[in-house]
Amino acid sequence: MKRPALTPFQSRWLAEVIRQHEEAHGPLDDQALLAELLAGPPDAEQRILLRAERLGEREGWRDALLAWRAQARNLLFLLALFALFSGFAAALGVMGAGQRLESGISLNVIWVLGALLGMPLLTLMLWLASLFAHDGADTLLGRFWWWLNERLAGKASRHARIGAGLSSLLVHHGLLRWLTASVTHLLWTLALASALAGVLLMLAIQRHIFVWETTILPTEAFITLIGALGWLPGLLGFATPDADMIRTSGNGLAQTESARLAWSSWLAGCLIVYGLAPRLLAWLVSHGLWSYRHRGLRLDLSLPGHALQRTRLIPDSRRLGVVDQAPSTWHAPHIQPHPPLHGQAHLLTGMELEPDLRRLPALPPSVSTWPVIESREDRRQLLQAVSERPPARLLLALDARLTPDRGTLAYVADLAMHAETMAIWLMAAERSDPDRLQAWRDALIELGMPTERMMDDASMALRWLGMPHD
Amino acid sequence: MTELLRLAVVGHTNTGKTSLLRTLGRDTGFGTVSPRPSTTRHVEGVRLLADGEAVVELFDTPGMEDAIGLLEHIDSLVVPGERLDGPDRIARFLASPEALTRFEQEAKVLRQLLASDAGLVVIDVRDPVLAKYRDELAILAACARPLLPVLNFVNAPSTHEHEWRDALARLGLHAVISFDTVAPALDGEQQLLEKLATLLDRFRPSLQHLIEARREEAVTRHQAASRLIATLLIDVAACRRIVPQGAEATLKHEVEALREQIRQREQACVRELLGLYRFRPDDVAPSGLPLMDGRWEDDLFSIEALRGMGIRLSKGMVAGAITGVGIDLVAGGLTLGAAALAGAVVGGLWQVIGRYGHDALAKLRGFRSLTVDDAILRLLALRQQWLLNALEHRGHAAIHPIELDNPDIKRWRSGSLPPLLGKARSHPEWSTLNPTHSPSEALDQAIAALIDQLPSGQTPRS
Repeated sequence: MKRPALTPFQSRWLAEVIRQHEEAHGPLDDQALLAELLAGPPDAEQRILLRAERLGEREGWRDALLAWRAQARNLLFLLALFALFSGFAAALGVMGAGQRLESGISLNVIWVLGALLGMPLLTLMLWLASLFAHDGADTLLGRFWWWLNERLAGKASRHARIGAGLSSLLVHHGLLRWLTASVTHLLWTLALASALAGVLLMLAIQRHIFVWETTILPTEAFITLIGALGWLPGLLGFATPDADMIRTSGNGLAQTESARLAWSSWLAGCLIVYGLAPRLLAWLVSHGLWSYRHRGLRLDLSLPGHALQRTRLIPDSRRLGVVDQAPSTWHAPHIQPHPPLHGQAHLLTGMELEPDLRRLPALPPSVSTWPVIESREDRRQLLQAVSERPPARLLLALDARLTPDRGTLAYVADLAMHAETMAIWLMAAERSDPDRLQAWRDALIELGMPTERMMDDASMALRWLGMPHD
Repeated sequence: MTELLRLAVVGHTNTGKTSLLRTLGRDTGFGTVSPRPSTTRHVEGVRLLADGEAVVELFDTPGMEDAIGLLEHIDSLVVPGERLDGPDRIARFLASPEALTRFEQEAKVLRQLLASDAGLVVIDVRDPVLAKYRDELAILAACARPLLPVLNFVNAPSTHEHEWRDALARLGLHAVISFDTVAPALDGEQQLLEKLATLLDRFRPSLQHLIEARREEAVTRHQAASRLIATLLIDVAACRRIVPQGAEATLKHEVEALREQIRQREQACVRELLGLYRFRPDDVAPSGLPLMDGRWEDDLFSIEALRGMGIRLSKGMVAGAITGVGIDLVAGGLTLGAAALAGAVVGGLWQVIGRYGHDALAKLRGFRSLTVDDAILRLLALRQQWLLNALEHRGHAAIHPIELDNPDIKRWRSGSLPPLLGKARSHPEWSTLNPTHSPSEALDQAIAALIDQLPSGQTPRS
């Protein structure tokens, strides 16, 4: 069955749910998905989203998200019905609350306006003020809708996690305020529209007498107030009762047809201009901001979970594997057995020694030395000398801090062919890396050097060299 | 359109060629690294990707082991009186039977270098400049490919760096880069790539792309790490427990429970930091980080840990700090001595009301609130920043302890804590450790502001 595709916003929401889940419960296993994820275009966000969608499908988050959304819609629908109903009911209540006189129902205009516009205007002001507050705007109705959603989802359920994901995503991008504002203003708009409808209906089917009352205020104050309130609607074509009409209303005298019409028009104008229109405008603005910005929302890849996935999904490197195989046979040098050489001399020399190792202790007169060798020419000269006059004992000093290599070992094997017995003195062993020292020992054993002829102690090495050859 | 740069990584055996590939490829599992020589005997490649696009291919080659013998052999292939230039000599060697037998390993290196656009010559500067190394460089130079010597282990106690630079200059290799393959400097990689770009002008766009991608990634990663640390600090600062006043045993139990929760919270942060920097638990041990199985060795609530980070405490404070938990009386809805925390108490009391039901209000006067001490906050901040620093240097900082005079670090040790953390104390809903936790824009802004108070890490170079 083909599932409906998620909108770009929904897939980011799902990614946030997965991110929070993994933050709390450790990473989900996505080994099976990796090949597919790495095959797409190398865009970190797209890969994270695809991963979230695949994991969401597998773990059931995707369905839960769609269910959450459907539930939120249903709730909003119910709240909208409630708003329509209560707006209408409020209008009926207010319009029917006056004294029933012979000539109609008396309506205190100030009281009607206050009852129908008081709350919406006050909450609108509070919302406007909270827009500038540091902690962000708050809206009661929107919060109530949100709270209902959370309530219905239950505390620990999957639904609750979906809601938590949405709220943290929206909060992080500063969008939650626009979503709840949009819901609030929508509900108020509906309520005010149905209240207006209720008022118009009552004006249509009942006769109302518009009155105002005061104990301490002068009549002129009312004339000014009514006129001022009617000024803005007047620009839109709504009528405003003239001074005589207002005076007549204040005296409780019977109203003419034209006065009733003027009052009705004034009342409807005030409801539209001071109630419905601001809310509608606020709804258009916040809904516009919400829908524009939530569509353009991009994941914040510096959030820890996403950053982690980014390093996995956008690899820094890819292994190419072995492009040239290791040699099938390893040409390791080896000391070959040699016939007796009947050498006499005891010879000490060093190979590739640093200046700090070239100072040697006093040697017995029977021991001769050869300068430290390094280059090809040095090597050749020594080899030539020992092949002409093979020594009985040859002690070769090496720097244990260096790395043994095939070339050096091969030369050691060559030298061993031209000496009766040969030993190795690993100098500076105590200053060498234990691993390197071990590498020398292993390499020399592999070469065929007996372990007792590998020495790292100076006195032991020199004692061996000084011993008479048997 | 960027061009794919092919680089052969060559050098003597056991100088850290494979380590260089691991570091540049950010792939700790590449090849085999061992202190034993001749570990790599084949040629293995890794492709460096910038935003998923292949820009550089690196080839790990076996070590050159018998340069003296090889040079002698190459010389013997030249008939007296014949004039051959470097590449011709190399070609003649590769055609000789010894290229398949005694010098097969060296032949692999030279073939790979010839097939590449340039070579990175890895040099262990702890070794003296021996004749065999000079011969090696001479053979490599004969391939007529641009070479960039990479001086490895420059941070070792005694090196021959100067002699090496001198010897390289004599061979005409003037562009040299110091790069510790195991613990590179923060911008070491960038310097290496930039040096390559000056050497290989044709590949400058590719290398520039790689530098940009890596830099951007480092910045994002550092931001994510800072966010982890900031969230940890807010979580702990805002954490609050309300405990009914009564038996000392209950209080002790609650204090211990809180401490355990904070320990686990820190542990979660460490785990995420390691994951972010792709340190696997088995990478940690050799890197010298004071972590065991990915945990700090010193307990968070211990004098050793506080001292280890240089947090100085008077004798009287030590005992308190080791509890690590401040205990305040809640009286009449206000914490004694902290009336400003009214919001916190109200938040906390909601928990209590939830937990203890209707009797809670009656018991209002008899509650205590538990919060985490400033000293522990300092310690958490310092430890995590220290770890982050170490991770960014791949364990290098473990060898060189974090600089004590770094002002960013100093203020966390002895300066006043950011006021934000004080503010967090009065917002229990900010802490994920509290059941009243709820995300809010205020919390998001607080985290963002706290991130700004943490060291910004790698400063992008223009």
